Amino acid sequence: MESLADTLWDVVICGTGLQQSLLALALSRSDKKVLHIDPNDFYGGAEAAFSLQEVESWVEKVEAGKEGLFEAASVEKLEGDTGLSFPRAYSLALAPQLIHARSTLLSQLVSSRAYRQVEFLAVGSFSIFKPSPDSSQKPTLVRIPSTREDVFSTTAISAKAKRGLMKFLKFVLDYDSTPQTATWQPHADAPLTEFLLKEFKMDQELQTYIITLTLSLDGKINTRDGLAVIRRHLSSMGMYGPGFAALYPKWGGLSEIAQVSCRAGAVGGAVYMLGTGVKTMNNKEDPIVIELTSGDTIKTRKVVRANESATDHSGINRLVAVVGSSLKSLFESTVEGAPTPAVAIVAFPAGSLSTAAGEASKSPVYLSVHSSDTGECPVNQSVLYFTTGSEHASKDLLQQALDSFLAAVAGDTVPQCLYKLQYKQLQSSAQSQASGSIFDFAPPATALAFDDSTLQSVHDAWKMVLGDEAVEEEYLTFADREGAMDDDEVYD
Amino acid sequence: MASDDTLPTLKVLLIGPSGAGKSALLTRYCDDEFDPETSAATIGIDFKIKVLNVRGKPYRLTLFDTAGQERFRTLSTSFYRGAHGVLLVYDISTRASFLSMERWFTEAEANTVEGVALYLVEGGREVTTEEGQALAEAHGAKFCEASAKTRENVRLPFVDIVDRIVQTPGLIQNARLGRAAGAVALGGSGSDGYGAYLPGGCSC
Repeated sequence: MESLADTLWDVVICGTGLQQSLLALALSRSDKKVLHIDPNDFYGGAEAAFSLQEVESWVEKVEAGKEGLFEAASVEKLEGDTGLSFPRAYSLALAPQLIHARSTLLSQLVSSRAYRQVEFLAVGSFSIFKPSPDSSQKPTLVRIPSTREDVFSTTAISAKAKRGLMKFLKFVLDYDSTPQTATWQPHADAPLTEFLLKEFKMDQELQTYIITLTLSLDGKINTRDGLAVIRRHLSSMGMYGPGFAALYPKWGGLSEIAQVSCRAGAVGGAVYMLGTGVKTMNNKEDPIVIELTSGDTIKTRKVVRANESATDHSGINRLVAVVGSSLKSLFESTVEGAPTPAVAIVAFPAGSLSTAAGEASKSPVYLSVHSSDTGECPVNQSVLYFTTGSEHASKDLLQQALDSFLAAVAGDTVPQCLYKLQYKQLQSSAQSQASGSIFDFAPPATALAFDDSTLQSVHDAWKMVLGDEAVEEEYLTFADREGAMDDDEVYD
Repeated sequence: MASDDTLPTLKVLLIGPSGAGKSALLTRYCDDEFDPETSAATIGIDFKIKVLNVRGKPYRLTLFDTAGQERFRTLSTSFYRGAHGVLLVYDISTRASFLSMERWFTEAEANTVEGVALYLVEGGREVTTEEGQALAEAHGAKFCEASAKTRENVRLPFVDIVDRIVQTPGLIQNARLGRAAGAVALGGSGSDGYGAYLPGGCSC
């Protein structure tokens, strides 16, 4: 077998996060010599999914400062026999993003034929957490009506509010056509909430509904971005079946897409090495000379890597909890013929939670509830992914959100939390950029829904690698690699 | 018949160290071809399909090769998903090849469902089967020698593993990828190893 040093590589891709993996997929039908490495010994980078064992070694690495984008990671397990299954029965996602049906990511997975290896599940209802008005009552979860049928049938809001909401839903669907633009453009940079109040007379409760659909981490999304995101949500509704607007890849979300893309890269001839990073790089020469941490010295024409340095300490806090209940009521399909959803979203609006010190929450907390259908936990358990923008009391607020949620869904007994993983993921304002023969991907976004702008940099990297050979029409558009079909065999 | 997507589909993986002869075995079984010159990793083959009748019932057998990801042991967990059976292949003429099999067993067992059919295949010329037999038994796997070169026993592991899969109660159900009631079809049903599980019809 040819040694690594004997090959002149066309590109070395470092890291197996979603962007680098999609690049490997995009190059999988070119005849480029691709070496794909990752300093981690797992696939997926900041989008990885872990068994409980892998979580523990990841937490150790974060605490040792070896995972640049993450900090303050910890694991908490209940003592004794808690009903937690064996470590491999879990696949906890670091970035459990939902993907809107209209996302270009899905159409690219279809046109590149990679979608066949991924199982997609429906994301069901969006709900709002309502704190209990007094201590004798439970807090509740109220489902957000997001289709016309929903708005008609809901009893949660008044007839007047329904009219306002209907008017808004209709407006959003073609908000960027001529007569409509005049309505919102003067407010483009103002918070969406102000626009909803001024133009649609929405009260705070309805504003909260709409803001929740945007999944805006600080709740302060501006009108321009907000309308685009709401339109994406509404126009995605029903695209792949009735009753849902977004999808989630089984077994840990984007991690699965990254792995399947890398496999496609390997089938196309790329060489894969995990647990191997770049030790030194000399890009003054052409080809570029790289010394790998494995000790190999290799030559390559191009390098694509991830920028993993955070520019400041802002970011998000996450709490991932495994609970010992299937939380069935959250996963009922509300529309006839709809697939059973495997993911449900709950928002805790700003002000709906308070810290132990009595301080009210300033930003929303979002919760993505995953049923065992996601393959992320065994049956009769669920995984809860809480996210909030980092503030000084974020950790405390996430714990409050967990306790409040469990109280809201409690039947005769409160579901038990079996396992907790907490961490902070840092944000970065760095942009993806090419410089000579080197391309750097920006760190992954901390958003809760997949943002198609991520795909632009994959395309840019693909163009840098292929140069003049890049054919736009063939970008991520491949024929099936059919397994040749053979004669039937009989054995009795 | 051979293109019938409605047949029950079985996913079988071929794993093992580089150069063990996985691709040679697969090509000999599926295409009855053998190229003594080729030792390079196979490029461009994702999986092969074979329709196999076992005990009077036809099955679509999808056979997945490692696509070179075994070289530095970088097979992903997603590769193992939904596998009903795993053929673990080693080359008897290389001691290191046999010695690595314990780790391959561990990896296969860790990433597949309970009851998955495991099958140890010894490729190559020399015959010292006792060790292989013992290793297979230790993992509850079946064992055979096969030679892509001489055609000896080439069909046996494939036929046997399918037989074992269909004889294991619950295995097809357990490993089935599309079992979730919420599975959403993106591109309609296709003719690969997965499409058959998803409801038909294109909704895009």
